[in-house]
Parts: sequence; C-alpha cells; structure tokens
Amino acid sequence: MKDSEKEAKSVAVSFDGHVFSLMAVKKAAYRYIDSFSADISIKDEEIRCVLNFTSPRSDESCARLVDDFKKEVLDQELREKLKAETEPVRNLILAHAFSKTGIVSNEPVSGD
Amino acid sequence: MSQFQAIEFYKTPQPSYRLLPFRFTTLDQDQYVLTNMAGEYLVSARDKLSDLLQHKLSNNDPTYIELRARHFLIDDNSSIAPELLSIKLRTRYDRLAEFTGLHIFVVTLRCEHSCPYCQVSRQSEDKLRYDMSSEIATGAIDLAFRSPSPNIKIEFQGGEPLLNFDLIKFIVLEAKKKNQQRGKNLAFVIATNLALVNDDILKFCRDHSILISTSLDGPKDLHNANRPRPGGNSYEKTVEGVNLVRQMLGRDQVSALMTTTEASLNRVKEIIDEYLAQDFNGIFLRPLSPYGFAIKTKSYRAYNAKRWLDFYKEGLEYIIELNRQNINFMEYYAATVLKKMLTSEDPGYVDLMSPSGIGIGAVVYNYDGSVYASDESRMLAEMGEEKFKLGKVLENSYEQIFTSPNLLDPLEESFAYSAPMCNDCAFEPYCGADPVFHYALYKDYVGRKPESEFCSRNMETFRFLIRKMEGDRFVRQLFTKWANS
Repeated sequence: MKDSEKEAKSVAVSFDGHVFSLMAVKKAAYRYIDSFSADISIKDEEIRCVLNFTSPRSDESCARLVDDFKKEVLDQELREKLKAETEPVRNLILAHAFSKTGIVSNEPVSGD
Repeated sequence: MSQFQAIEFYKTPQPSYRLLPFRFTTLDQDQYVLTNMAGEYLVSARDKLSDLLQHKLSNNDPTYIELRARHFLIDDNSSIAPELLSIKLRTRYDRLAEFTGLHIFVVTLRCEHSCPYCQVSRQSEDKLRYDMSSEIATGAIDLAFRSPSPNIKIEFQGGEPLLNFDLIKFIVLEAKKKNQQRGKNLAFVIATNLALVNDDILKFCRDHSILISTSLDGPKDLHNANRPRPGGNSYEKTVEGVNLVRQMLGRDQVSALMTTTEASLNRVKEIIDEYLAQDFNGIFLRPLSPYGFAIKTKSYRAYNAKRWLDFYKEGLEYIIELNRQNINFMEYYAATVLKKMLTSEDPGYVDLMSPSGIGIGAVVYNYDGSVYASDESRMLAEMGEEKFKLGKVLENSYEQIFTSPNLLDPLEESFAYSAPMCNDCAFEPYCGADPVFHYALYKDYVGRKPESEFCSRNMETFRFLIRKMEGDRFVRQLFTKWANS
C-alpha cells in the first residue's frame, strides 16, 4: 500500500461481557495507548470498543494490532483470574517476608 | 453392567495443585515469560500456561515439575514453597531497610572539558561561584553519617572534581575522623576524566584507599570527538592517567564508563576492543540520559530506543563471542539485570530499583548546598526543574530532607508494584521505577509505559537476555557466572 492510501482508521471490536471483564478490556486498551485510543462502552452484556488509530496505518497493520489486542484481552482476563485465585497466598507471603523487619505495624521490633 | 472397571479407574488420580502468585508477559509469538514473587523466571508455551491456569496441567508434564520447583504452584509435595518465597522476597528487599548508601558530593561544577553531551559542567575560572565550600561539605558529611546504612560510599563528582582536590582531601579526612566513632564501612570514589591527575593526588588516594572511576568513550578519534578539551588530547590524558593509577594504586583500583553518542552507534566492536586494549575486564554499554546539555545540544534525541537496542545487542553478541574464545570480558548492565534474574540478591542499581532508588539508594549534595534525590535530579535542576530538590545542607535537618514531599511523592507514585501496566508485567522484578527519567520526558513520575522509552528499552533488553540464555547453553553458563560475580 502507498503511504497516500494510509489514513487514520477506527475499528469496532466487541467482547462478550459474560466471558470477559471490563477491567481486562480496559487494561488491554491501556497497553496499546501508543497505537490507538479506545472508546469503551457496555450495551446488553456486550463490551464494545471503538479503536481509533492515532496515526495512518495500512489495513494489514491495523488488522495485526486488532488481533494482538484481542489476545491481550484474553491475557488480561487470565491475569485477573490468577490474581483473584492467589490473593490470599500473596498476602501471606508478603506478610511473612516483612514480619521481622519492624516495618509492619503492630509488630514488636526486637530490642524494644 | 460390565464385569470390569473402566480404564479410568486404574489411572493414578491427578493430584490437585494450587497456584502461587506469578506474572506473565509475552516473550515472542508463542512463548511467555513467567516470573514469581521472588523474580525467578520460567519460559512457557502459551498452551501450557493456559492449562496451568485452568488447573489442567498434568503432574507428569516436565513443565509441571519445573513450575513446582520454581514456586509457581504448590501441591502435596511442595508445602514449603510459600515460606521459601517469603525468604527470597525478604532477601530481595533487604537493601531497602539499609537506606542511603551512596552519597555524591559535587565538589565543583568547573571542568576543562567541554563535552556536548555533558549534563552539568561549567567552564569557568570563578572558583567561588561553582565550588563547594568546606562549610557545606562539613554539613553534608554530617547528613551522610545520619544514614542507617552500615556501608557509606562517598563519591566525588563534578564538573571535574580534581579541580577542587583540596576540598576532596578535607572531606576524606573529616569523614574518616567522624567514622572513628561510627564504625561504618566507609569507601571513597573519585569520578574524574584523569586529565589533571598527578603523583601527589594519587599518593593521597593510595593512602586513603580511594577508587578512581573515569570516562572512556572508545577509540582515540571517537573519544576525542566526544570529549573536547584544550589540546584535543582527552584520550591521551585518560590512557596515561589509567596507567598511572594502576602503577600507584593497583590494577583493579580504576574503572571506566562510556557514553553512547550518535557517532558511537556503528562502532560498538571498536569500543569494546578499546576497553580490551586498555586491559579492562568489562564495559557498561549505557545510553545517553535525557538531561542537561544532552537535551540542549540535541545529543539525546540523536538516536531512539531502537537504535540504542541494535547497538546494545550487537555489542553483547560480540562480548559473548569473545568469551567463547576464552577472553573473559563482561557487560555490566547485563550483569546487573542477570543478578536480579538469577539470584535473590538486589544489585542496588538506582535506575533499576522499585521503590525507586532516588534518596533511598543515593543522594547528591550539590556544590551550592542543594540536596538532590539522585545525580539525574541535579542534572534536571540544571535545566531549571527543581522537582527533586530535597532541601539545603545548611538550612534543613536530616528529617526535613528525607521526608520532603519532593522525595516521598515520586517514591510513592512511581512504585512499579502498583503502577499501571508494571503491576502485572512479568519483568517488574528486574525493572525500576525511575521517576526522574519519566518526569524529565513526560512531566509525570510514572509516564504511560507503552510510550516510555525506558520501558521499551528495558523490556526488550530483558527479553533479549532471556532468549539468549534459553537458546544457548554456553550463554546460560556465562550469564550465571556474571550474575554471581
């Protein structure tokens, strides 16, 4: 494609709200902030994103970015699941790691 | 009803496993890097990651064994994992409790060089205007010794600090006197271009175990073009100075740093060869910082992150090949990152610390008594931005300086553990917050990471190091050696 044929584009992408969380979509959109801005809305359990590319690109380049964005939404969804599942043990590890430092409140510091 | 049980009946039941906290980020199209809370990493194919997260991974799968061994999951055979992770995590953050170890004294801004990329120096005969006074130096020593750190390193910087060597002598003697009661591990470094070094200076350095850090940008023509001085002989002076230091102080008492300018980009092998010719054990391939004259003279914008990475990768590949030929030579930035990747120790490199190393890892006492959160902070101040000025030596107490909002706000806001995108990035344990860099370029302590050069440069460096290790057993062994050096 010639440069003159490239222009700033918008592409609409939808995600099923039963499958993906709004937070996962927002986080994925943030990762692509250097390539496109996203208008995100919810209608009838559907998370709708209009991706506005910030600079002129070929169709092929846009399609690749949209594809990557969809994968990123999936990754973010998995991250959310992982975070929720491991939150108690994460807190346990952090508390244990710093339990003798005197940094954690209500902990007696040795020598006090 | 069948006379026999179904085949499933005879299979060993799959043990259930629980996930431990970890983060994952793409390495390439098909593979992901997983890191646990202690920063240990594992490379996994996407389908394995997906199986793992859905609790479908078989305990016979080799990936399962590795994941369990590196504390990404826990089952009946690995109940101690959370405790081990806690210990490793505590070791990683151990340095935090020590607080400030590096105290930089800018004894003068005067310099006889006029390097276009220099962030701070002044060419001036006006001693009173740009030299630190003994009164300010005494106040700064008092502040340095208030640090709870058992290790205090005083680094003399400029300008060219040897132009105010009398003050260096004063500070060394005063600090040693003060340390007779404090008993800290006290060390001194002079960061000098060596043009003015002589026997008397080096005798003093020898008597007081002062290390020398100098600048060597590469071969003679490149070094002299980068670092103009009257006579056009910066390279000759540096090499002569290095040899003199080695004769009087010992071979390992001098180290060198290089700065990458646009003219360096196609010459990384020559630069490395120059370091080898001068008998250095390694090199720190580092990019220009976006401060001071580097911005004014447009040196900083002369190349972007991609060009820098091409330069860095070519250099690192060359160094690996040298090692394959039994020439021991190290790249120090890689070694710093690898220490984070392959050990539980934190190397304490200010740019790669989170919480940021500003104030916590290092502090700067400027010639005029201003205290800055880092060397880069004072460079930013030279551009008129005093966002990271913590106070004045003779006007503010230790408590006022180290609880200044100009320190606490950027520390809190830039903490990568809670910064957008960093908080779920697998490379967060290896990376840093660097609020000064982000403020200098984006007027924001955090910056938008997808647009951040700091982020793109480091992410690609981490990926490159992991790819090299994963694909080549020799590199894995070499990098492990560097990490433990």
